[in-house]
Amino acid sequence: MNVRAQIAMVMNLDKCIGCHTCSVTCKNVWTNRAGAEYMWWNNVETRPGPGYPRQWENQNRYNGGWALDGGRLKLKIEIAKNYKPPSMEDYYHPWTYDYEVLFSEKQSDQQPVARPISLIDGEAMDVTYGPNWNDDLAGADLILEDPSLDSLQKEIYQQFRDVFMMYLPRICNHCLNPSCLAACPRKAIYKREEDGVVLVDQNRCRGYRHCVAACPYKKVYYNWKTGKSEKCVFCYPIIEAGQPTVCSLTCVGKIRYLGVLLYDADKVLDIAATPDPAQLVRRFIDEVLLDPFDNAVVKAAKDNGIPDDWVDAARRSPVYKMVKKWKVAFPLHPEFRTLPMVFYVPPLSPVVTTFEKAYGAKITDIMPKVSELRIPIKYLANMFTGGDTMFIEQALKKLLAVRIYERAKNVAEPGLADKAKVALAEAGLTEADAEEMYRLFAIARYEDRFVIPTNPKRYAANPYIERGVAGLP
Amino acid sequence: MRSAIIHLGIIAAALLLALTGVLVVTAQEAAVVVKFVNGTLPTDPASPAWPKPVDVPLTSQTLVYPLPAATESRTASVSAVHNGTHIAFLLVWSDATKDVVTLGGLDVFPDAVAVQFPVSRAQLPYICMGTVDNPVNIIYWKAGLGAENLVAGAGYGLNPQQREALGLQATPTSPVELLPASAQVVTDIAVYKDGKWYVIIIRPLGSVHPLMASLAGKSFNAAFATWDGSKGERGGLKATSGWVAFQLEMPVAVQTASATQTTTPAPGATQAVTITTTKLVEATPTWAWVVIGVLIAVIALLAGLALRKK
Repeated sequence: MNVRAQIAMVMNLDKCIGCHTCSVTCKNVWTNRAGAEYMWWNNVETRPGPGYPRQWENQNRYNGGWALDGGRLKLKIEIAKNYKPPSMEDYYHPWTYDYEVLFSEKQSDQQPVARPISLIDGEAMDVTYGPNWNDDLAGADLILEDPSLDSLQKEIYQQFRDVFMMYLPRICNHCLNPSCLAACPRKAIYKREEDGVVLVDQNRCRGYRHCVAACPYKKVYYNWKTGKSEKCVFCYPIIEAGQPTVCSLTCVGKIRYLGVLLYDADKVLDIAATPDPAQLVRRFIDEVLLDPFDNAVVKAAKDNGIPDDWVDAARRSPVYKMVKKWKVAFPLHPEFRTLPMVFYVPPLSPVVTTFEKAYGAKITDIMPKVSELRIPIKYLANMFTGGDTMFIEQALKKLLAVRIYERAKNVAEPGLADKAKVALAEAGLTEADAEEMYRLFAIARYEDRFVIPTNPKRYAANPYIERGVAGLP
Repeated sequence: MRSAIIHLGIIAAALLLALTGVLVVTAQEAAVVVKFVNGTLPTDPASPAWPKPVDVPLTSQTLVYPLPAATESRTASVSAVHNGTHIAFLLVWSDATKDVVTLGGLDVFPDAVAVQFPVSRAQLPYICMGTVDNPVNIIYWKAGLGAENLVAGAGYGLNPQQREALGLQATPTSPVELLPASAQVVTDIAVYKDGKWYVIIIRPLGSVHPLMASLAGKSFNAAFATWDGSKGERGGLKATSGWVAFQLEMPVAVQTASATQTTTPAPGATQAVTITTTKLVEATPTWAWVVIGVLIAVIALLAGLALRKK
């Protein structure tokens, strides 16, 4: 057992309101620079939809992630021999408006108009695509481009009454088996041993863009101005001080949780090569991620130099509870085989409708059954569990059971308490679990959502000599 | 009698070896003549000042990971002139598409060319960007970005104090490094016409940094590489040449003057720095073969004499 610690994230999609505050604050902190105008290290996608960059999940187009080649893991770019990264058209051409005109225009019968101008060269341009184009009515016809929609869902979707939607905020997943790192011939990308953050060394990078093509989430971006690639840095200077990332801190819906996960580095490659993606997710959560209450794990962690406060933080970690203890959070597209360390709680979509007569929905209770939810389980499974609907259903059942339990506590209605007991039993939860889940999902405070130990820089061997690389600035 | 024949044979073999050594040394003599021009160097590829170019063959570099090379064999036409203080190279190669770095060009890989020189003259460095013991100085031109003066191979052979004295970052971050700003003395002129790149690279004949090659003297060596951007070539995906010898043409009157001019020490180069760079190169010159051959001949003669006495 080779125990390492990583600061991981959970996003509770149930609470995401799609306000893009995370994206905007991230942009203001990190990518408000020339060459980075088109970059959104954090972006929020309205799904179903083509996403950003357009159809990023379609690996026949971009060749990202890993594939199994005779039972062995191989980079898709290596198999497909694709050396072209996405173009600006695949992302979008960043623009602003010519506001200056509003002040400088001479008086005339018509009002002056601030026309869109390119953020790259300042020229007038037509806006034809954006980073979340399908959310605006302009891009509604692009919704069916979503690679996670299978043909049946496309049919369902086209019938208006069954239309569904959800928000998907995305950052770099700081994977355990990062394909961007493997694709870099310059060894410019590295995963920090102390907290698992994956970074691009701007001194080593020479802008070859193999990483941009190889990342299946398209979360490495090429800066055309500096000629180097950049990506989400998990706000490492803030994390090191024990503070949450900017996207987590500013999240209006308080959907983001940060905490330590212990994992077994020796098992990563073996489990990433599990042939069946549905099996892969389960093995990832069960075998790669470790239980910080297991004495053998704690001993191995100490032997590997993980400080006591990190082990303690791993025990209090909200991420550990959601991902491993309750199994209600899943990695995005595990079939890309990179073992992402950002997890998502699938959304309990709104009840289909209460206007039974108008839309013909079958409502049996004020709390819907999992089968009555608006977002097809299969769609969520395509995204989070490699197509395993059972795994998603179990999680949604747990989330529903907690609501039924809490309702029973607050509403005086005969039979509710029994209903709650049944729901909890069906979901495999105890009352204590339900209480804790309620606290964490509904009324969690800052210190419950963010359990981040500070970084003692324990891996910098010689800070003075390594300054600018691993030590002092 | 038989021993006499063997003896003669050994001597013959030794002399042959010595001769081969001499031949190797003479083969090092220039294949490309760097023409002398008085005054300013030509800045137009069509200028009549350029001598007849020499075709240098380039082949794909062998790569294993992550992408195997897909380049084909190419030819670069090379000609060079100098004026006693500066040298200009005219590099011409065919490329069907013009790929230049543009604003917002995320999927654009620029066409590029590189010229590599040995930092030391003692022994030719390893052709693939030198070694720690024997670094190379590289001029790397990229379409739309211009030329950079780089050093490759030296990084890991120096301690942080030596590196800082040389104007490099204390810890090497890459086997190829940009020389400090004071050594960015290369200028370039590029024209793309009729499916061909014409790139002129001008640099001082002498060195302005301990890790920059000096080309002053009678001859020097250089190697070339080109990248075809439309094929996604970057980094190791390229076509490279072997070492090509250059000979500097020198009119008698100017010869002595230019020789003294180019050997002046680089500004800002401290003494400690000079020591470290001479240490970098282990001197095992090619003429060692001559010495070895002569030594074997002498040993054979002595052995023969000893045998005859018996």
